Amino acid sequence: MFSFLKRKKQKNDRKIQELNNQNQTNKTLPNLIEKSLSKNLEVIKQKTGNSSDIVIRQLKICHNSKMKIAILYVKGMVDNQSVNDFVIESIINNQNLSEKLKPQDVLEVLTEDVVAVGGIKVVNDWEKLFTALMSGETITLIDGLSKGICASTQGGQRRSVQESTTNVSIRGSKEAFNESIETNTAMVRRIINNTDLWVESINIGKMTKTEVSIMYINGIAKNEIIEEVRKRLKGISIDGILESGYIEQLIEDQTNTTFPTIHHTERPDSVAGNLLEGKIAIFVNGTPFVLLVPALFIDFFQSVEDYYERFDISTAIRFLRTVIFLISLVGPAIYIAATTFHQEMIPTELAIIIAAQRESVPFPAFIEALIMEITFEILREASIRMPKAMGSTISIVGALVIGQAAIQAGIVSPGMVIVVSLTAIASFATPSYAVAITARLVRFIFMVGAATFGFYGIILVFILLIVHLCSLRSFGVPYMSPLAPFIREEAGDTIFRRPIWAYKKRPRLISGQNRVSQGENQKPQPPGTRVMKNTTNMEKGDQNES
Amino acid sequence: MEKAKISAYQLFILIVLFELGSALLVPLAIEVNQDAWLAILIGMVGGFCLYLVYHGLYSYYPDLPPTEYIQKIMGSFLGKILAFIYVLYFIYLSARVLRDFGEMLITAFYWETPLFILNTLMVLLVIYTIRKGIEVLARTSELLFVLIILLGISALFLIVVSGIIQISNLEPVLEEGIKPVIKTTFTQTLYFPFGEVIIFSMILPYLNRPEKVKRIGLLAIGFSGLILASVMAINVSVLGVNNITRSPFPLLSTIQTIEVAGFLERLDVYFILLSVIGIFFKMCVFFYASVVGTANLFKVKESARLAFPLGLAILILSITIASNFSEHVKEGLHIITLYLHLPLQVIIPILLLLIAFIKNKKKKSNHNKNLLPKRKYRLAERDKN
Repeated sequence: MFSFLKRKKQKNDRKIQELNNQNQTNKTLPNLIEKSLSKNLEVIKQKTGNSSDIVIRQLKICHNSKMKIAILYVKGMVDNQSVNDFVIESIINNQNLSEKLKPQDVLEVLTEDVVAVGGIKVVNDWEKLFTALMSGETITLIDGLSKGICASTQGGQRRSVQESTTNVSIRGSKEAFNESIETNTAMVRRIINNTDLWVESINIGKMTKTEVSIMYINGIAKNEIIEEVRKRLKGISIDGILESGYIEQLIEDQTNTTFPTIHHTERPDSVAGNLLEGKIAIFVNGTPFVLLVPALFIDFFQSVEDYYERFDISTAIRFLRTVIFLISLVGPAIYIAATTFHQEMIPTELAIIIAAQRESVPFPAFIEALIMEITFEILREASIRMPKAMGSTISIVGALVIGQAAIQAGIVSPGMVIVVSLTAIASFATPSYAVAITARLVRFIFMVGAATFGFYGIILVFILLIVHLCSLRSFGVPYMSPLAPFIREEAGDTIFRRPIWAYKKRPRLISGQNRVSQGENQKPQPPGTRVMKNTTNMEKGDQNES
Repeated sequence: MEKAKISAYQLFILIVLFELGSALLVPLAIEVNQDAWLAILIGMVGGFCLYLVYHGLYSYYPDLPPTEYIQKIMGSFLGKILAFIYVLYFIYLSARVLRDFGEMLITAFYWETPLFILNTLMVLLVIYTIRKGIEVLARTSELLFVLIILLGISALFLIVVSGIIQISNLEPVLEEGIKPVIKTTFTQTLYFPFGEVIIFSMILPYLNRPEKVKRIGLLAIGFSGLILASVMAINVSVLGVNNITRSPFPLLSTIQTIEVAGFLERLDVYFILLSVIGIFFKMCVFFYASVVGTANLFKVKESARLAFPLGLAILILSITIASNFSEHVKEGLHIITLYLHLPLQVIIPILLLLIAFIKNKKKKSNHNKNLLPKRKYRLAERDKN
């Protein structure tokens, strides 16, 4: 019908293709390294735009200093000491080298004898050479040889291993991941000393070529899920990966949801614990946040510390967290519904107090709540973004001006301030920020429901929320399991935390065939008398003690 | 049929929530005054028999929904007509439940809100759920079932603590003999809520372990029957015969009488929670059966696509079904039971079962004849070894 439009479009397409082709021809390099050193250096300079942070050091070695070599590295990306001591210095001082004449011999001596660095490889095409150079390796080029030697000298300034700032715990290991992927994987390997801990790496990002590793325990993690993770990661085609959040958004199961279906953590012990359950960790270079898949809804309400404390205390705390989450979801909504629609449900004395407070307030409860909630969200956002030195100013403004003065001015009622602050504190107490931030959003839907239909509205939104949660999946595993679908033997680790000795098996939907996680009879059996459990000669204790 | 599987436990919960759904809220079998609980229990026994009939049909065609096996039993033409009648019946029932619910909300809490708005919200929620499929519905039921049980236990505790139960209200038992009780059973409780289990024959093919269908179904009906009977008995003992016959929603009146420590009173929110969740599941099951039945009958590949148009139809039907509440109730008690429930829940299924039985017996005898030589051969083989 609109054939003329089509033709135009085709023309445009062709133009774009031609442009692309031109770009590609410009980009293409001679594939292989050439023999002449000066030519090679020329290529490197041209390719990198003569960047000032690339150091090219030319040396003359061998008999009568006849042979030219060049050493290249990127400033700041390498460990200066290893470059100076183990590459440059050992090349200059080496006796064997001065006897050699042919470039091939020099190469052999260099790789086998001289360069005292762990990882060494010989490459002959430009692409590999540039990848190595850009990732912090030191390149040695020899005149008259179409090969380059890459020595792994990665280093430079990184943040040291520090205490976790986002997943704080009182008991347990204090160290948290940092930005270097090698350090991070090593930290987990230090906890799980087992050959079955497998790591696979790929580079993602056309420009950034970020290193991404998946880690799992072979034999525990489910093969289908590992394969799925691999496939989804390989399917990513994007300019750059700056943080694990990019990966998270590109591989999650469902995008039309505010609930996170991939877990992230900063703590190595948390990753190790999840790996032992059969989950898969995804490390991304440049960020301390490691992704864990598949993630279940209840994972976001658990902290590693739950397993370090005894079970009764942890269970109580988990109950508390459930209550906290419910408050942070429906706190203001219930207040709105009760004061606007269902006054008869409030006990009489309380109803009179609330009515007296609200007498001078010119807004309906919903508007009042909305004002306070939005004010609070502004305060919170401000306190995260602004310089730390300003912190006290914000707390004064927040507490005095907005809290106290708003009530005195008669804009909001004291009851509403209490409700909103309780909700705010509750949303801070949720262990996972990812779910707390979701609750912040969903809370407003509940408030709208309450303002229009009272408790009927709240319950409708609540059912909607549960239906939505039940419809989610994370890498094929139902998001609400083991609560729905209910799995009896695993439900003990949800809002309860059963004793460690009762964890007989790993989660069925997450781990593969190998599910037995501990031996029989792990429950400590206290002896009936003062006899120790495993030794019999303590019976004398009676006499010694008194 | 979508590709989904539900577990036996999920089926149990779905049946229980479905049975409790609206029956818990309305004055069930109140014609026989204090003997209502007895009428419910007898109705439950009748429900067992009906369920066995539906299960009998299911065991002949374990992979097919009724809309399909009716065609196999009755032949294509007659079967299609009958299946269509059943689908219409399901749609009509979901509209009735929706109307019941809207009227209840208006009477109890929202005097000024239009029925249309209340119903629309519910229908939208149900449509959203059904579009997600039966598995999501089943998982949702597992979570909300826990909530209902917790509510029930705490409500029972509060009722006991506030000391408002008077067992003497339940006496005398069988004041006018057993006759009126039996009559009420066969005009009311047998069909509503127990006979309505026929809707689950649309869902049974999804069960992952077919051998459990019979036990789970009977257990669920028994469990919900016991709960209904005990709740009705509590209602009567709290309110007394005089009050309960005048109350449109006995459970609401009972809950409103609770008063503990001068602080916990007017716990209407319990009732709203119970009613919205219960009605939601009842609506969902009815609506799911309508959608899947329609899709199956008219060979629509994606049944989820029918959710919106059918939902709209049910919404409009629920408004236009009766001009006011008393007309609606009268239709429900006298006309529907006689002209819809009795034939569609009892007579036709029994006839279908008989026909299926005869048909399969024929087939089986033919089958056996063919099988015999093979079996002889196998026996001979075994003897050799």
